[in-house]
Amino acid sequence: MKVFLDLGWFFKERKKQYLIGILMLLVVAFLQLLPPKIIGYVVDEIHQQTLTTAVLVKWLGVLALASIGMYILRYYWRIMIFGSSIFLARKLRENLFRHFTKMSPSFYQKKRVGDLMAHATNDLSAVQQTAGAGVLTLVDSLATGGFVIAAMAITINWKLTLIALLPLPIMAILTSYYGKLLHQRFRFAQEAFSNLNDKSQESISGVKVIKTFGQEKEDTEDFVQLSQEVVEKNIRVAKVDALFDPTISLIVGICFFLSIVFGTRYILAGEMSIGDLFAFTSYLGLLVWPMLAFGWLFNIVERGRASYDRIQNLMDEKIEIDDRTDAVDVKPEGDIHFQLEEFKFPGDDRAALQHVNFTIKRGQTLGIVGKTGSGKTAILKLLMREFEGYTGKIMYGEYAIDMYKKRSLREAIGYVPQDHFLFSTTVAGNIAFANAGATMAAVEEAAKLAYIHEDILQFTNGYNTVVGERGVSLSGGQKQRISIARALMMNPELLILDDSLSAVDAKTEEAILEALKAKRSDETTIITSHRLSAIQHAHQIIVMNEGTIVEKGSHEQLMDLQGIYYEMYQLQQLESLVEQGGES
Amino acid sequence: MDEKQPQLTGKDQWVVFKRLLSYLKPHKKVIAIALLLLILTVAGDILGPYLIKTYMDDFLTPRNFPTGPLVGLALGYIFIQIGNVIVSYFQLLTFQKLALKIIQQMRIDVFTKVHKLGMRYFDKTPAGSIVSRVTNDTEAIKDMFVSVLVGFVQSGFLVVGVYIAMFILNVKLALITTILLPILAVIILTYRKYSSVVYQDLRERLSQLNAKLAESLQGMTMIQAFRQEDRLQDEFNEINDSHWNAGKRNIKLDSLLLRPAIDLVYALAIIMVLSYFGVTSMNNIVEVGVIYAFVTYIDRFFEPINQVMQRLSIFQQAIVAASRVFKLLDEKDLAPNQQNIETAKIEKGKIEFQNITFSYDGKTDVLKNISFTAEPGQTVALVGHTGSGKSSIINLLMRFYEFEQGDIKIDGHSVKDFKSEEMREKVGLVLQDPFMFYGDIESNIRLHAKEMSDTEVREAAEFVQASNFIEKLPNGYQQKVTERGSTFSSGQRQLVAFARTIATNPKILVLDEATANIDTETEVAIQSSLEKMRRGRTTIAIAHRLSTIQDAELILVLHHGEIVERGTHQELLNHKGLYHKMYLLQNNVVEDIA
Repeated sequence: MKVFLDLGWFFKERKKQYLIGILMLLVVAFLQLLPPKIIGYVVDEIHQQTLTTAVLVKWLGVLALASIGMYILRYYWRIMIFGSSIFLARKLRENLFRHFTKMSPSFYQKKRVGDLMAHATNDLSAVQQTAGAGVLTLVDSLATGGFVIAAMAITINWKLTLIALLPLPIMAILTSYYGKLLHQRFRFAQEAFSNLNDKSQESISGVKVIKTFGQEKEDTEDFVQLSQEVVEKNIRVAKVDALFDPTISLIVGICFFLSIVFGTRYILAGEMSIGDLFAFTSYLGLLVWPMLAFGWLFNIVERGRASYDRIQNLMDEKIEIDDRTDAVDVKPEGDIHFQLEEFKFPGDDRAALQHVNFTIKRGQTLGIVGKTGSGKTAILKLLMREFEGYTGKIMYGEYAIDMYKKRSLREAIGYVPQDHFLFSTTVAGNIAFANAGATMAAVEEAAKLAYIHEDILQFTNGYNTVVGERGVSLSGGQKQRISIARALMMNPELLILDDSLSAVDAKTEEAILEALKAKRSDETTIITSHRLSAIQHAHQIIVMNEGTIVEKGSHEQLMDLQGIYYEMYQLQQLESLVEQGGES
Repeated sequence: MDEKQPQLTGKDQWVVFKRLLSYLKPHKKVIAIALLLLILTVAGDILGPYLIKTYMDDFLTPRNFPTGPLVGLALGYIFIQIGNVIVSYFQLLTFQKLALKIIQQMRIDVFTKVHKLGMRYFDKTPAGSIVSRVTNDTEAIKDMFVSVLVGFVQSGFLVVGVYIAMFILNVKLALITTILLPILAVIILTYRKYSSVVYQDLRERLSQLNAKLAESLQGMTMIQAFRQEDRLQDEFNEINDSHWNAGKRNIKLDSLLLRPAIDLVYALAIIMVLSYFGVTSMNNIVEVGVIYAFVTYIDRFFEPINQVMQRLSIFQQAIVAASRVFKLLDEKDLAPNQQNIETAKIEKGKIEFQNITFSYDGKTDVLKNISFTAEPGQTVALVGHTGSGKSSIINLLMRFYEFEQGDIKIDGHSVKDFKSEEMREKVGLVLQDPFMFYGDIESNIRLHAKEMSDTEVREAAEFVQASNFIEKLPNGYQQKVTERGSTFSSGQRQLVAFARTIATNPKILVLDEATANIDTETEVAIQSSLEKMRRGRTTIAIAHRLSTIQDAELILVLHHGEIVERGTHQELLNHKGLYHKMYLLQNNVVEDIA
């Protein structure tokens, strides 16, 4: 029940709704007592043949009013309580999303999207259940159970109540025993199901091997066997599951029998009327639900607590990189001085970067080349302040980069990532991502700069074509160029192309680079690439190897050096020849 | 999870539902038994209150308690109660078993169908969604069979039983209460009409919400880099709000028309019964027991109706799931057909490609007029960069895809002629990424060939020199292989795949060389195994490392689906064309290139 305390803040916030809802629930629980009573009265009058129209109309009127009252109250308490529970889900979801937007890249490296999704869906709905069905079950089962027993004992006959209720604890014990048994067997059934799931997954992933060896039939036999297992395990579940209803009806039947037998005695003794017996048996029927409800309640609350804890843990994750208290709120501008002693990625013992020093003058282009894992991307990530914890200093203009507010720093940087991620909205929406209010003319200009304008016009709906799973499928090169256009829309002080021309052909690459050069003579550009053609016109080129700079200079200087760069250049010339089919 | 929900019209739903019901056909006998048990339980439910009515009217009211008949009545009541408990237990169990059996059949049907599908289908359909069809969708259908369909039938029987009893007790009142039926029908139909819209809307919003969330999580670095957190938060909030509103609508609809409404109708029924007996009692004598019976029957009557209505949304989901399952069952993209000519046998292993032109999508040709011959025992190597058409050649030879232009012949027969068993037995393929199945090393070599002896398994492993590493494993051949064999290096997996292929002793060997990094020690083992395996077998090999195929009788250099150079290693080197350049590139020799 601790979860109700944990959710206390929410109940406080929705005090009005919960109080009104619970009050309504209590009133309904009370009004429920009326119909059996009224039936009892009317039966007594009929039995004694004393019924008059006035009395009948009176009682039926009360019954009708109570029923309509209950209908209205039942409607509204649902709105109040269930409505609040989905309000909670909405609120938690919103908070969770806000929290997600603040987490640093290292958080997203640690967590899998699937797990985060599970928290935002399954866990959230378990908490919602607790705040809705959980509250309802707790209040209603206590209220209905209490009221009904009180009504039976006080208004009818306390001795009969005691006798008739004797078997009910047996029902509670039996059903909770079944519940435990069911839980165990259900786990086995789940296991069998997940085996079946794994088997299907494996067969479908390995379908080529199965086809090669012609073992479709044998594989299906395996599947049949596993599916048989699922059936058997589920039958074991069903064997327990099917016990609930008959057990309940047996115990209730015994209670009935006891009420009739002993009720007869009390009627004969003049302690109660036949109408009372009617009311009494109806009350018995009302007691079944509260008895069962407690089992439910524990289930809901247990799940709710575990889920709420998981969500809370997630919300407690610290924001790793935050603005300094004395951060300046100006957009960085000027030369970049990168003077780094050493940097390790969190959780890695190896240094990702060591002794990396370079300077980029404003308006110049820096090219970074090197193999995968040589530290190219690490340099960029540090520049964008996605990671910290290095020794050394990175200056941008007047200040070190950690002196700027994160927003100001990002305002200056237009980043085009390796894995060109596009959102499932229109092409125009993707290009204008950083500047949702941009004019169409501005969008087109950026697209032209990135040499994607012509391609976009070819799409069925031009700039309004929706990108993504349900939209047009773009080639890797098209995606890259849209990503470039997106970054150009910002007209950034520093443009970073992180190996983002790899999927465009040589001619387009050259055209884009030319356009960038012409357009961005006053701003700084950093390009990393596997392909040397993308960086060979840069003002300065650094060659990375195992986290450190091994060669530095212009293309001509590096070629003269006849070192790694030179060798890479020659091999790439050969490679491109091979790709073109050997014709030079 | 975020798969699009197919929109189904009422007619579509009906068609799907009827098809679902057709799965009941083979179980006629069991259904008959279950229904019989159901009738018994309903009869018990009806008889119980009748006995109490008899007790009230014949004994309690006249205050007459003769021991004999009373004991009889009590015993009768107890017998019915206990009998009912036993029968209803078996009835519930039988229906559950039935549902499980039906779903098992459906799963087997789907799985069998999956194995009949061609590679084309697997190319265009994500594995996850196929798995979903086999397991999750069928599970949703099970819920429908268990809780909705059985509930429907049960309520139907109970309604009929209750009415029969009421008619026996009092025809007039029974007639009056029939007015409840149209009222309930109107409520159920109205609920169904609106809930299918409102509920569908809620599901749709939820999937939008999840899609937005998933996308934002995946693209969070971009969102942050472009400082769009606030805008995305606003967009998310908007969807969140509309989901919330849809949720509110759903709660309102459920509250208006589900339990509270049914309870209101219940009160109406009680009012009808009481006023009828009340008015009658003013002129006539009314037996109290009859009132009791009527009130109890009305109680019994409403419970299943409440239950069924709560579960209508399960029904909705099941129909959607079933429509997806049936779509897969009706899928036309089947694996290529074989002519199954008995006399077509593979004996020597001569392979001829004759003017093969092929396209996956019917638009761009990935193979253009490919012709070559591999004489028995020869090795033909295919080289070329990614997308040059090497794999397509293997795909066609292995009959993974159907081709229309040209022909591929083995020992004079078209590959379309052979029985598939003949092809599978005589043609062995080793895939680039050797797939390992859950189980142990031995089962991964043997696969499903039960007739293969342990010695044969070991011989195969020894032959390809996989035995060296296998015997060093703590459990040797019984070493567990977990999902996809992730605990083994790619070289070790490759060796096991070799053993698997060699164990079937094929006439023709098709190799797709692994590109993954393999440690030098395994690399040596792999190379010498390959050499041994090729001896005496016709081999078609895709080579990524040119060093491995220098002794091939014929090397084909592919570029954009065409054979641009052909010859032996030496001939091709002398030719100084594409192959020569590739060779230089791989050996990191930088020459002056013109």
